[in-house]
Amino acid sequence: MMPSLPELGIYFSLLLFIVGIFGVMFRKNIIFMMLSVEIMLNAANLAFISASTLTNTIDGQVVMFFVMAVAACEAGIGLALIISLYRAKSSIEIDDLRMLRG
Amino acid sequence: MAIQISFMIMGILAVFLSAAMITRKWPVTAAMLLIIIMMLLAGMYGLLGAHFSAVAQIIVYAGAIMVVFVFVIMLLNLPPEELRYGRVTLNEIILIAIGFLGALFLGTKVGQGYLTSGLNSTTLINARPPYYPAQMNENVKNVSSLLFTDYLWAFEIVSFLILAAIVGSIVIAKKAKVNDAKSS
Repeated sequence: MMPSLPELGIYFSLLLFIVGIFGVMFRKNIIFMMLSVEIMLNAANLAFISASTLTNTIDGQVVMFFVMAVAACEAGIGLALIISLYRAKSSIEIDDLRMLRG
Repeated sequence: MAIQISFMIMGILAVFLSAAMITRKWPVTAAMLLIIIMMLLAGMYGLLGAHFSAVAQIIVYAGAIMVVFVFVIMLLNLPPEELRYGRVTLNEIILIAIGFLGALFLGTKVGQGYLTSGLNSTTLINARPPYYPAQMNENVKNVSSLLFTDYLWAFEIVSFLILAAIVGSIVIAKKAKVNDAKSS
């Protein structure tokens, strides 16, 4: 007995989100952390679309559109911050960026 | 059955490639792997019936956002990062276990119970004209009609958010150069 397609999508989105959490927690490079955040956003999109198919509505696909727009904003601002930090510190390791820690 | 098997192949491949992505040394390799993951996810969206989302995933995510990522990675010209293991403490293991169990519970029991409950399907779905998966050839029409009626305010607010992000990223990336000009 194989689960239906939307259920499989929700399971895969769960696995992808966990992998993204691991990437954010264990990498010290800001670019890798942002790529992991993109994986997490994609997992959320997959969950939205699976739920939209599961409930026979189309709202999940519209919300996925908004998540995509917010991800574009996040990528633009984050990469601008990375460039600015690299100019200031010549490094993008988060161990070198502990100004706020005091 | 063939659709389910191909969906499972794409999903398992996406999970394994993402696990490979977060353990790479070079950022460019990771970005290329992420492009492949996004195309696999687009295939999964297409199998789920969301054709507009599949095309938008390829054009916007794999096309636009990842190009910006690769551009910034090549602009910074970083050395490969050495992977450092053995940093995991007991607290982190406990937190990961709690988070994993919580995500498993939310993702399987509560989520599916809520999604397939009678309350949702009777109140929310019948409030607007129903969407049937048989009408897959009208996916773009359904999405756009919902986007410009019920979600019109969210759409306008997102457009202002993108405008603010454009201006903000220009200001943030330009700031260091202005300071250099003033100091010199």
